Amino acid sequence: MTTTQAGPVADAPQASPPAQARRRGLGGRLLDQLERFGLVVLLIAVALFFTFLPATSAVFPTSANLRNVAANESILVVVALAALVPLVAERFDLSVGATVGLAAIVTGKLLTSGAAPTLVAILAGVLVGALVGLVNGIVIAHYNASSLVITLGMATLLQGVGSYLTGDTTLLGMPQSLLDFGNLQWLGIPRPVWLFVLLALAIAFVLGMTVFGRRLLAIGSNEAAARLVGMPVSRTVLLAFVVSGALAGVAGILVLARTGGASAGVGAGYTLPAVAAIFLGSTTIRPGRFTVAGTLVGVFFVAISVNGLTLAGAQDWVDPVFNGGAVVLAVAAAAILAKRRLGSAR
Amino acid sequence: MTESLLDAPPQQALVLEAVSKTFPGMRALDDVSFAIHRGSFHALLGGNGSGKSTLIKILAGVYQGDPGGTIRARGESVDPQATTPAWSRRAGIRFVHQDLGVFGAMSVAENLFSGHPYPRTRIGAVGWRSMQAEAARVLARHDIDVDPRRSMADLRPAEQTLVAIARCLMDADEGGVELLVLDEPTARLPPTEVEELLAALDRYVAGGLSILYVSHRLSEVVEHADTITVLRDGRHVTTRPADGLTRAELATLIVGSRSQIAAKRATRTIGSDVVLRVEGLRSGPVHDVDLTLHAGEIVGLAGLVGSGRTHLVETIFGVHRPREGRVSLRGRPLRPGSVAAATDAGLAYVPEDRAAHSAFRSLGLDMNLSAADLHRYRRGWLRRPPELADAQADIARFAIRTPGVRAPFAQLSGGNQQKAVLARWLRRSPVALLLDEPTQGVDIGARAEIYAQIEEAVDRGTAVLLVTSDLDELLHLSDRVAVISRGRIVDEATGDRITRDWVGSRMFDAHQEES
Repeated sequence: MTTTQAGPVADAPQASPPAQARRRGLGGRLLDQLERFGLVVLLIAVALFFTFLPATSAVFPTSANLRNVAANESILVVVALAALVPLVAERFDLSVGATVGLAAIVTGKLLTSGAAPTLVAILAGVLVGALVGLVNGIVIAHYNASSLVITLGMATLLQGVGSYLTGDTTLLGMPQSLLDFGNLQWLGIPRPVWLFVLLALAIAFVLGMTVFGRRLLAIGSNEAAARLVGMPVSRTVLLAFVVSGALAGVAGILVLARTGGASAGVGAGYTLPAVAAIFLGSTTIRPGRFTVAGTLVGVFFVAISVNGLTLAGAQDWVDPVFNGGAVVLAVAAAAILAKRRLGSAR
Repeated sequence: MTESLLDAPPQQALVLEAVSKTFPGMRALDDVSFAIHRGSFHALLGGNGSGKSTLIKILAGVYQGDPGGTIRARGESVDPQATTPAWSRRAGIRFVHQDLGVFGAMSVAENLFSGHPYPRTRIGAVGWRSMQAEAARVLARHDIDVDPRRSMADLRPAEQTLVAIARCLMDADEGGVELLVLDEPTARLPPTEVEELLAALDRYVAGGLSILYVSHRLSEVVEHADTITVLRDGRHVTTRPADGLTRAELATLIVGSRSQIAAKRATRTIGSDVVLRVEGLRSGPVHDVDLTLHAGEIVGLAGLVGSGRTHLVETIFGVHRPREGRVSLRGRPLRPGSVAAATDAGLAYVPEDRAAHSAFRSLGLDMNLSAADLHRYRRGWLRRPPELADAQADIARFAIRTPGVRAPFAQLSGGNQQKAVLARWLRRSPVALLLDEPTQGVDIGARAEIYAQIEEAVDRGTAVLLVTSDLDELLHLSDRVAVISRGRIVDEATGDRITRDWVGSRMFDAHQEES
């Protein structure tokens, strides 16, 4: 059959794209709203379910538990924000988790060895993250390399570097000020939660209200068209990876603050849940787009579900199964939604 | 004709009767009827957008025609709306496209057997030896003097084409091959190999094969085809013996002589200052192109697909870095190979392929409109209110029909998307505007609105370089026409010298002169 397929015949008239089947009527609008807020509704339903389930009703709805969940997830939220920025421009950053680990180890080493004051050590961790992003960005943006493969390679490389720096030891003995930040509250809300809310607002602002953010959206939508309106595609992509790396660095500091230590391999487990949350989030609020709000819903949908199940007595296997399943389902759902919305050709 | 073509005796390889194809907003094929005789070298001619490709795609079963009408091959009649790739194969129709679909890294024998089951040995492994032998027999049968073990990539272009043809003709099953459709088979061949291929085709036809030959090269057609069919604007113009036809007569048949659209717009006073100057440009297929655009002038760039016209426009816009030559806007040379430099200097470009090169389908209409001048809304950060207000104003000014100012671009019709892409640039009042097929796939109504927008911009002093395959559009809009062929500007004309005949003859003649 190789010869009967139509090759690219240059002068074929172009059919206009099929008129969009915009769902009309009350039922259609309801369906639209359901699509937009489906995951939000589901999140609330799950929360209500565990609130009233006899096995969990004693613990789940308490403010202590919810604070704990929010504080625990603060690391994942920041990692997800890190992965989100390049993903808006259709570039994967699978090295975010490993960058978290390296930043935690670098800062941890500086702090435990007393080589630098707390603030300088923190800054160094964030800078290491940004530097990793810069390398990713240069290779991916300027040589147009596959972000998937480059950042996967980078992730492995960084884990090796982390192992080298820590040996077999766990870095312990972080300064009290850092541990306080990780575990105390301001106005009844865990301090890490304040941080992630602040960062989420900042990233939402950058994506929605700056030229840089708009360029990321445009590149994600149609890279060739972005080039042809004169947008600096390479520079924008590079910057996206630097931002991603720096955010992963911040998440690394949060790991130290929350857990009080760092060892080789720390952070690696965050990459997949972060990507899962982003894709889950892309099915909601503004379906088809990677957004900050969607990502937050994604993170907490998984977190609340796993928390509830764990309280109900589920075993350790629930967490990876839930996260892995979420990625597969969310990516499939996002692809189906995008196809329905935009037609087959993007 | 009282007697239906369907009653004709079965010495015909293919009969088309009343075949039509309607796309949203345009009729690509309109009531086309003709027949191809067995053992005939039948040329199918027409300009870009004449409906040739649509017809071929219907025969291949890639497109389905409108209901009504008949296609008959090998005694089986089908409704054009029911053609499928499976029907096409059953009917014995085979296609060799301009892009041959061969595998360069594989051997000639493997290429011949791609799409056919490989011979197997008794234990189920590939029977390489019997495959070589069979391939050698096929090559010998078609007078192709090539070792089946050679790598496809090492063959000359003409040899590759012949192998691709032989691959099609291997289908002895299902009753053999009734009709071989060749789409521009000589377009990629060096001039020295064209005759070699055509001579082989002549031999195959003498051996009883029917060929439907699509080409822009009139000299080849005049010398080798026995029958020609001309399509124009989706309509069947003529099917007649090729005997006695000259190239000039063919060119006239292809471009037509009528002037359908309203008379050319009134001649304008064109500024004397050159705003865009192209000097000695060499890039890709483009050679030594000099071109000037004056303020308030529309220069039409006429040329066939493959003439280098799109590459020229892209190079001017900075998409490609030229090997030589330069582009200057208002006397200032543009940094070569930089789209940003071109847009900053006031150049604008509406590409041919909207879906691939200009539409942000998942973004809102407002963001599509502001994509080329985001910095206008940056005061510290992006100011949405003025951005949305400007989008509203553009929607009114350019009569863009949309569900809302933020509606996803994909929800707009093709014509409205195109109006928005044009608006994206016109809102910047560009110094020079490059348009590549600005109304392709756009319905009549939107087309008139697009013309009005272009003319309004020109009245305000914008210079326009217009690439179009639509001769009516070219004649209607252009103050001056330059004809490009094989990457060179071969002629230029203004005023009354611009006629359909002149454009047609320059476009086609120039095309074959060098072949």
